[in-house]
Amino acid sequence: MEELPIKPQDNQTQDQDFSNINLRLLDLSDIDDYMVWAADDKVTQFCSWESHTSKEVAMKYMVDFIIPHPWFRAICIDDRPIGAISVTQKCGSDSRRAEIGYVLGSKYWGKGIATRAVKMVAAEIFFDWPHLERLEGLVDVDNIGSQKVLEKAGFQREGVFRKYFIQKGRARDAVVFSLLSTDPQAKLLV
Amino acid sequence: MDPTRISLRPFKLSDAGDFFSWAKDERVTHYLRWNPIPSREEALKHIKEVAIPHPWRRSICSDDHSIGYVSIRPESGSERHLARIGYALGSEYWNQGIMTVAIKMAISSVFKELDYVVRVEALVEEENKGSQRVLEKVGFQKEGFLRKYAFNKGKIRDMSIYSFLSGDKIL
Repeated sequence: MEELPIKPQDNQTQDQDFSNINLRLLDLSDIDDYMVWAADDKVTQFCSWESHTSKEVAMKYMVDFIIPHPWFRAICIDDRPIGAISVTQKCGSDSRRAEIGYVLGSKYWGKGIATRAVKMVAAEIFFDWPHLERLEGLVDVDNIGSQKVLEKAGFQREGVFRKYFIQKGRARDAVVFSLLSTDPQAKLLV
Repeated sequence: MDPTRISLRPFKLSDAGDFFSWAKDERVTHYLRWNPIPSREEALKHIKEVAIPHPWRRSICSDDHSIGYVSIRPESGSERHLARIGYALGSEYWNQGIMTVAIKMAISSVFKELDYVVRVEALVEEENKGSQRVLEKVGFQKEGFLRKYAFNKGKIRDMSIYSFLSGDKIL
């Protein structure tokens, strides 16, 4: 009998429990785990920032932007960072509104991890920031995976902003999603 | 009044009297971020401190008298391709097509004068039907209804968002 070729197993992710993720602060000692996704063009394709070209560039970004950020967390499995999620409050009279952003190493795509992380953040952020009324996500029209994350997390799709952001030199349309502090999903704890 | 007699120009200090006559009316400022102007002195102060230094604010004029304004403000830094439009008109000039003409003129000027602007957006409250009609007549496209999007005058408000891009056609 002819032997059928066996698909190679990805041994690293095979035994991991994807239902048990945790969020924590990122620090410089996480730099190698951080570089796994931050230096990957496939991951940063829809990000506002370019892939980090070196560890030095990544460390500077971590020190200048990530560490001082008002709300930035590593998405971890077994306390090892595999991605990141952040919430950025708008300025001045718009401070009751904030924008969520997230990124995940490509090896971990398609497993519901980002959705889980977004749900955790949604519940926590309205508790941390009681003045917050609206959490929004703006997703590139071509980034279907990310749109699905917000839909599954209970965000409401409100429309498309045409030529809303310039990304890597091109004007891109963005799908806008929102979750309000009064929406039921904002109170669900995972 | 014939809408073709409308012109747009920057504000001057000498507009204070005309500006006061429409800006003191609560119906005119109701949906704006600012409150009715209480005095001629405040009117002059507003022109000097807000209208004249603004990156792009124009008085809507009839026979060179200010009867309203249109403002287009680009965001700062890397977001300056985005701009927000705001406008108001003295109430006796409502429902005559004047605001539509003024915004058409503003849109066609702003893309030439601020060539980095790609997208002009307008936020309008659901009940402000007159303002929505104006935008539709100019050729803005309604993109969505944004829940609890803007905080103004002590309340968080739902907003409809409209946009006009540099490549769009003025109707």
